Amino acid sequence: MKRIWPYLLIGLSAMALDVTRPSNAVAFEPTKPIEAVVHTGPGGGSDIFARAIAELMQKEKTISQRMHVVNKSGGGSAVAMAYLAEKKGDTHTIGFFTGVWVTNPLTTAEAKVTINDLTPIVRLVLEPAVVAVKADSPYKSMKDFIDGAKKNPGQLKQSGGSVTGRDNLVRLVTQKATGAKWVYVSFPSGGERIANLLGGHVQMMVIEPQEAGEHIRAGNMRVIAALTEKRLPSFPDVLTLKEQGIDVPVIPQARGILVPPGVPKDVVQYWEGVFDRFAKTAGWKQYLEQNQFEDAYLKGPALGKFIDDLTVQMREVLKEAGAKVVR
Amino acid sequence: MESVGNLLLGFSVALTPGNLFWCFVGTFLGTVVGILPGLGPAATIAMLLPLTFKMDHTGAIIMLAGIYYGSKYGGSTTSILLNVPGESASVVTCLDGYQMARQGRAGPALGISAIASFVAGTVGVLGLMLVAPPLARFALRFGPPEYFALMALGLAMVVFLAGKSMIKGLLAMLVGLWLAGVGTDLFTAESRFTFGHMELLDGIDFVVVSIGIFAVAEVMINMESRGGTELFKIPKGLRNLMPTLQDLKDCRFAFLNGSIVGFLIGVLPGAGSTISSFLSYGVEKAFSRHPEKFGTGVIEGVAAPEGANNSDIGGSMVPLLTLGIPGSNTTAILLAALILWGFKPGPLLIQDNPGMFWGLVASMYIGNIMLLVLNLPLVPLFAQILRVPYFVLYPGILGISIVGVYSVSNSLFDVWLLGLFGLLGYAMRKLDFPAAPLVLGMVLGDGMERALRQSLMMSEGHLSILVSRPLSASMLILALLIVIMPMVNKVRSFKMKAVEQEV
Amino acid sequence: MATHDNEEILTGICLGAFGAYVAFEAFELPYVSEYGPGPGFFPLWIGIGVTLLSLVLVFANFFAVAADESREHQSRLAIGRALVGWSGLILAISLLHWLGFGLSLALLTVFLILALERRPLWTALSVAFGLALGFHVIFVLALGLSLPSGPWGF
Repeated sequence: MKRIWPYLLIGLSAMALDVTRPSNAVAFEPTKPIEAVVHTGPGGGSDIFARAIAELMQKEKTISQRMHVVNKSGGGSAVAMAYLAEKKGDTHTIGFFTGVWVTNPLTTAEAKVTINDLTPIVRLVLEPAVVAVKADSPYKSMKDFIDGAKKNPGQLKQSGGSVTGRDNLVRLVTQKATGAKWVYVSFPSGGERIANLLGGHVQMMVIEPQEAGEHIRAGNMRVIAALTEKRLPSFPDVLTLKEQGIDVPVIPQARGILVPPGVPKDVVQYWEGVFDRFAKTAGWKQYLEQNQFEDAYLKGPALGKFIDDLTVQMREVLKEAGAKVVR
Repeated sequence: MESVGNLLLGFSVALTPGNLFWCFVGTFLGTVVGILPGLGPAATIAMLLPLTFKMDHTGAIIMLAGIYYGSKYGGSTTSILLNVPGESASVVTCLDGYQMARQGRAGPALGISAIASFVAGTVGVLGLMLVAPPLARFALRFGPPEYFALMALGLAMVVFLAGKSMIKGLLAMLVGLWLAGVGTDLFTAESRFTFGHMELLDGIDFVVVSIGIFAVAEVMINMESRGGTELFKIPKGLRNLMPTLQDLKDCRFAFLNGSIVGFLIGVLPGAGSTISSFLSYGVEKAFSRHPEKFGTGVIEGVAAPEGANNSDIGGSMVPLLTLGIPGSNTTAILLAALILWGFKPGPLLIQDNPGMFWGLVASMYIGNIMLLVLNLPLVPLFAQILRVPYFVLYPGILGISIVGVYSVSNSLFDVWLLGLFGLLGYAMRKLDFPAAPLVLGMVLGDGMERALRQSLMMSEGHLSILVSRPLSASMLILALLIVIMPMVNKVRSFKMKAVEQEV
Repeated sequence: MATHDNEEILTGICLGAFGAYVAFEAFELPYVSEYGPGPGFFPLWIGIGVTLLSLVLVFANFFAVAADESREHQSRLAIGRALVGWSGLILAISLLHWLGFGLSLALLTVFLILALERRPLWTALSVAFGLALGFHVIFVLALGLSLPSGPWGF
């Protein structure tokens, strides 16, 4: 009988230790492949971005499971956002959001989900853009173009995507700030926008610097302004709008990650940790450089503030644009 | 000549055992994908992308391209045998191809489809090699007014596809135009006729409409009588399973027509292969000695569109080669694959990687030959599908239709639409409304409205922009002529009759 | 005595109503926008076009002779069969979400073979099983497509 006491003591201590052990010591780890939801079809901007990141994460071994891209295109971002909202509490689904996820619900009554219904994790990049003209165009700077537009109001044309997209919003704020007026022609595909610029049907377009770079190398295009806060490293001689005397807010094109609503806190922390590690990897830094993205890592409350500010800014700009704002 | 040197380089790359293997895999997969309604090359390529990261890039692009043009070979199979369009570009093939099958000529239809695809596909690749730079520069002159005129030309084809009643043809076309407008307006982001459904924000998918109106309606027609209507005479004997020499002779013009029209339309970014197949069908009918027979099972009516949707691919590579701009949706995905592998998109992509690009072009020659060899012997095999008893065939076709529609965007809503359009198609059949104008309206309506509004944006509201430019003006005049001609003919024959009666 | 082709006239009226509806809805949309014709422009003209052509259709058939009665009875039976088949399809589609593709297709097959073709139950069941299995093997297993799946995963 006396011999039992040591064992009982040990047993009780073990139990006590077990009870006092911190409850989140078993961290969340995914146990099956991750679904990465994008709002474009295969080949679209978000699709390529997500696939590249999925591949990089595999290489850098930042997560233990494979990530595969799921295309939920439709209604801008409406279908993708609705899909994510339905996956309430799902720990193995993430979404790749862009600025469209913020603006689209503002103008689309049929969209049932807004960005505030989802759980943002991190903002990864800001996509810069430049203003490009045909190589033999008479406009050597944005100021030239504005002057040209002022002399011939409504004659100059810009090709771009949807009227609620960044291309047009840049045009609207610039028109307001300078008093110039020029026409906007929407083309659904990037290829058509470039073709119309090169064919002389439009005089100017907003384009990603990496894409512009290739056309410049071929001698087809010229860049006359950078739509960023600071000059782009790949175009050191191209002035920003502000440097050219056009004082307009930079309309950001952000890309980031979010998860469905109702996901437990430790899972959110897990994802934050994953992208923390990922953003520090060499592969990611190389990708940023290759694609001329601005490293805009942001998370937590600062991210929430960014999204709120963006929503307010977009709502204002859209209203000024005459778009029907429904929320 | 530079091209010859490039081509030799290309063949040296393409004829390696590894690349030949990938070419075969791609073309085989493409044929299978083409046969299945709904599932298109774009989605398949996207699905295979993760696997390609570990592959040699040249082999990978050869395989993906093989899927692309391979699918155009297979697309006609279900169109001819079951009136189920395998691909949106194969809808036109349903018109005459299915009729041929009902007359026991399924074999020749399938055969001529493969042969036309081969001839036109090869011409497309040749065109890509030889006339790409000047053609691309010419294509740049196509701005919104020219696109509008081109679509108007296409719509004028309604005149040719209307059949008996012009009024019903026009009504069907207008409904098609309306269907094209459902969704979000590109220019103002306003939604039209979405009835509050989020799924309609992107419009109604063409595949859903075409499979509903053709396939489901066809099944319903056959359900009317027990045992089905006396559908198919099963072709007997090998002679009946292949196109005859007479058939080949009849299709001489169709081969030419399909190759050229398809290639030219393919060069224009934004004009898809559906448009090229419709246009070449219309051109074929316009130049035919027996236009009234189109729609009843005329072999040229199969050869022309099937050729067009193959040479279209060569054409869509032209802007890719010369300007770095994809000429079609699927080409855009190929470009995306190149980006993912680390290549930089743009006009210098080809210059920087001649081995890969010319290897690709050479592999397209080889691929076309492979596909011909693959597909021709399969013709008798496919024709045997018609032996399946109808009570197995009907649920099978309905099942394929559902799968085809669901595979487009994984949406049950689309399947519901399928049911709806099936009923519409049935009603149209019973009431003698032709289906082709509706489909044509839907295909062109989108592009036409967009082009018109873009043109008016450019000209600040002046319609004169459409006729002040030589290219668009000439196409519009042509379209007008096409529309007026039958009326003039009617008046003339009316007068002749009056004269005869007097005598 | 002029008789009407009722079928055609009814069609014309229905289409006319549709055209009027489209034109009406299009009226609500902006006719012109800042950038040229607005979203309401095309649908309005399409609606008007449909309405006008429908009227032409109605008047053209006002004096046409209707199809004779016996043929009509025959065709009514035929249409009935087709609609029964169609309702089977719709039923199967509504079951897709709950039962999955395989089962829904099997049920549709059984329905069609039994109700329309009046073949024995055994034929219906075996064909249904064969088709469902075939579809599953080809589309889900071999091609990796995702089809609606029911409680048992197919």
